[in-house]
Amino acid sequence: MFKYIGRRLLHLIPVIILISMLIFTIIKLTPGDPVGANLDPRSTPEQKAAERARLGLDKPIPVQYWNWLKRSIRGDFGNSYIYKVPVSEVIPTFIKNSFILNVFVYIFAFLISIPIGIITAVKQYSKTDNFWSAFSIIGISMPTFFFGLLLIYFFSVKLDMFPISGMKTVGSKATGWANIKDILHHMVLPGTVLIIGSLASLVRYTRTSMLEVINQDYIRTARSKGLQEKVVIYRHAFRNALIPIVTIVGFTIPGLFSGAVMLETVFNWPGIGRVLVDAVNLRDYNLMMALNMFFAILTLLGNLLADIGYALVDPRIKVE
Amino acid sequence: MKRKLALLLALVMMLSIFLAACGQSEEPADVDAEEPAETETAEETVANPAAQRADADNTIVIGMTEAKGEFMPIYYSTAYDGYVVGYMFDALFSNDEAGNYIPHVAKEWEISEDNLTITFYLRDDVKFQDGEPLTAHDVEFTYLAIADPNYDGRYFAYVDGLVGYEEYTNGDADKISGLVVHDDYTISFTFKEPRVSNFLYCGMSIMPKHHYEFEKGDIEALKAKMHDPLGSGGYKFVHYEPGQYVELTRNEDYFLGTPKIENIILKFTTAETYMAELEKGTIDVQNSVTNTVENAEIIESIDYLHLNAFPNNGYAYIGLNHSDPRLADKNVRQALVYGLDRQGFVDNFFKGHGQVCHVPLSPVSWAYTDELASKINKYEYNPEKAIELLEAAGWKEGPDGIREKDGMKLNFVYSTYPDVEWVEQLIPVLIDNWGKIGVGIEVNYMDFNALTDAVYENHDFEMYNMAWSLSIDPDPYSVYHSSQTVKSGNNAVQFINKRSDELIEAGRREFDQEKRKEIYEEWALLINEELPYIYIYQREEWNVVNNRIKGFECSPYIDMSYPQVYLNMEIVQ
Repeated sequence: MFKYIGRRLLHLIPVIILISMLIFTIIKLTPGDPVGANLDPRSTPEQKAAERARLGLDKPIPVQYWNWLKRSIRGDFGNSYIYKVPVSEVIPTFIKNSFILNVFVYIFAFLISIPIGIITAVKQYSKTDNFWSAFSIIGISMPTFFFGLLLIYFFSVKLDMFPISGMKTVGSKATGWANIKDILHHMVLPGTVLIIGSLASLVRYTRTSMLEVINQDYIRTARSKGLQEKVVIYRHAFRNALIPIVTIVGFTIPGLFSGAVMLETVFNWPGIGRVLVDAVNLRDYNLMMALNMFFAILTLLGNLLADIGYALVDPRIKVE
Repeated sequence: MKRKLALLLALVMMLSIFLAACGQSEEPADVDAEEPAETETAEETVANPAAQRADADNTIVIGMTEAKGEFMPIYYSTAYDGYVVGYMFDALFSNDEAGNYIPHVAKEWEISEDNLTITFYLRDDVKFQDGEPLTAHDVEFTYLAIADPNYDGRYFAYVDGLVGYEEYTNGDADKISGLVVHDDYTISFTFKEPRVSNFLYCGMSIMPKHHYEFEKGDIEALKAKMHDPLGSGGYKFVHYEPGQYVELTRNEDYFLGTPKIENIILKFTTAETYMAELEKGTIDVQNSVTNTVENAEIIESIDYLHLNAFPNNGYAYIGLNHSDPRLADKNVRQALVYGLDRQGFVDNFFKGHGQVCHVPLSPVSWAYTDELASKINKYEYNPEKAIELLEAAGWKEGPDGIREKDGMKLNFVYSTYPDVEWVEQLIPVLIDNWGKIGVGIEVNYMDFNALTDAVYENHDFEMYNMAWSLSIDPDPYSVYHSSQTVKSGNNAVQFINKRSDELIEAGRREFDQEKRKEIYEEWALLINEELPYIYIYQREEWNVVNNRIKGFECSPYIDMSYPQVYLNMEIVQ
């Protein structure tokens, strides 16, 4: 097993390098550069040229890439042009905020959707099933933007139950438990939007995979042995239905750290989504590269984890 | 069947949500009609939610776009970081409402006979927030930091005109020879060339040497203090929560007096919800509210809000590429302006909160004289006149209704960027108005940065729209002088006019404001005739203010971080 993981990790290295080359080239080929976006628009042509030379933007792309790679391997991702501080300082601040919200959302989303998925599968075409089908359709098709504003209008402006935006009460000196409570309070509305949005796909996934398993011969065998329905569903069927769900869990790992731009804009949540969009708009190369590589590596690791997860839940899959 | 049922259910649910939303907004009107007596008392008690906040008696919360944490005068680049810096730091001089320079840290100054040296005499009672006195050495330190060989901010222009700049930044000099500290409270700046704009460059906000000191070349050590600012201004730094807010508290010993409001919180808001925050009182002021009709209605409908409106320092324009033989023809440019109903567009879009722009000068600037205003050709909408001009220049209508001449057609590619409301409304007007005079456009949407690249780096465009902001000094050199027509220069439209160059150069060398008025009047009239751009509008800038805040009055040259505003501001409950 460890040998397998080690080998897979080794395989990741060339993939990561290839991805970084691709991203770097695409970023550099996009028209515009940080000088146009970040320097005073009234700067003289000489000042702009000097700035380009200082940032090394006048060199050919392969040379720039090599310089970037050399630095990055040593852990130096350069300065963000937008924030004027090292990229390695900018990213953790904002990813932490996204992470807090996402953990909250995923825990609730999985806790709610897996039982619902099982119930709707067991009682296929019942009223409950239809209700959740309808709910899923609404949840997945409701634009974040619209739903978010709706919630703000009712629960913040009219009912005054939750704050309109932000992650903390401004100027709050609260620490410890009071601080956590404050953050949770701010998290309810954006969290609800995200949970309802992700519920749909999770419920449908669980339901489909449960249905497939329920119709298998071994389930009929289990039933004919006279086992209780509960045991049949939860011990025999659910464990097998878990396999595709494990894939989703693996895929959601990068999602835990990523931001949702629309949601962050509506609720003014200081997450990483808007930072990435700003970085792209203002051509903050260092920040863009670091963020894209971070997500690429997380995705690769997520896949690896999913593969290992398979082996754990499905004895038929051997990892040698 | 089952699937249909589900779909129906979904539709019903969506509908009920919509209905609920509508019902809610109509409710107050019904209640009002039935029980007028009760609502009146209710209104009094819920009148101003901002006054109910726990921190209401000593704190003002100002909403603005996110600042990026660049809290250092020589490094900040967004206007919002600029506000934070403005509250905490002071410069040698300040300015009044008309853009005239007034004493601040410097009590007076003198300009030498040859116009090359400016000497400032500092007040001796200005202290930094840690109690240390502000001296000429701190001014020198600030400028040496910008001139540092590894400086990577955007304010080179403040130092590169000084005598001895090259020797310091590229050589071993340990001082800039043009920057001389005569005693603790006297400093002089000597420039290489006598330009009136030199004065502006003496106005960098002053950073304390004892707090920010670093070895020449080691600018990273200075940047490490980005989130640990210390200045002499009316407010001190307390806390910065990235992406959320900046907290400031008053400097009791401020040299112009103690500000009346104890704390300022600059909360980062977005256009999606700042109106809701104003309504709910979670912010007292929102800076730079978009002046749309919808927002105007909201402000109108809420009793406890009022508007602080003033002309924005800038103008929106359509750039015309003069190296395109069709647009090089002045008749065509004038016809395009006559043939466009700018007044109709501005009236319709801004509903009185913006005006048509005619020349690239701020209407509140001293350079925009009444004399000039009366002489300007306003190019009022006149399609007949436009057709006349085009006919006279030989542009005849072709079979498809588009005018042509010598194998060229008046069909232009119009480059612009998405998600800008005024552009979205202007484009149909352009297509319609210009269609009537036989001019066609094809719209080409690009990402903003890609458009900047096409325009300024490659000069690859026919027409595009953007906006310029106007600085306090009316000097138009950086945008309109022919020397700026090169790659990366700001005169991307390739406007080259000998008389314009002469006037611009004369205006920069002249130190007498009365004479500069005359120079800029002639220049503005020349621009009005030549039309390097099609000038579209100058809009209003809006701050929406809760009635419990008195004295929050900004104007084009006085933003909210000026002491003129924050020393006057007070809370009335």
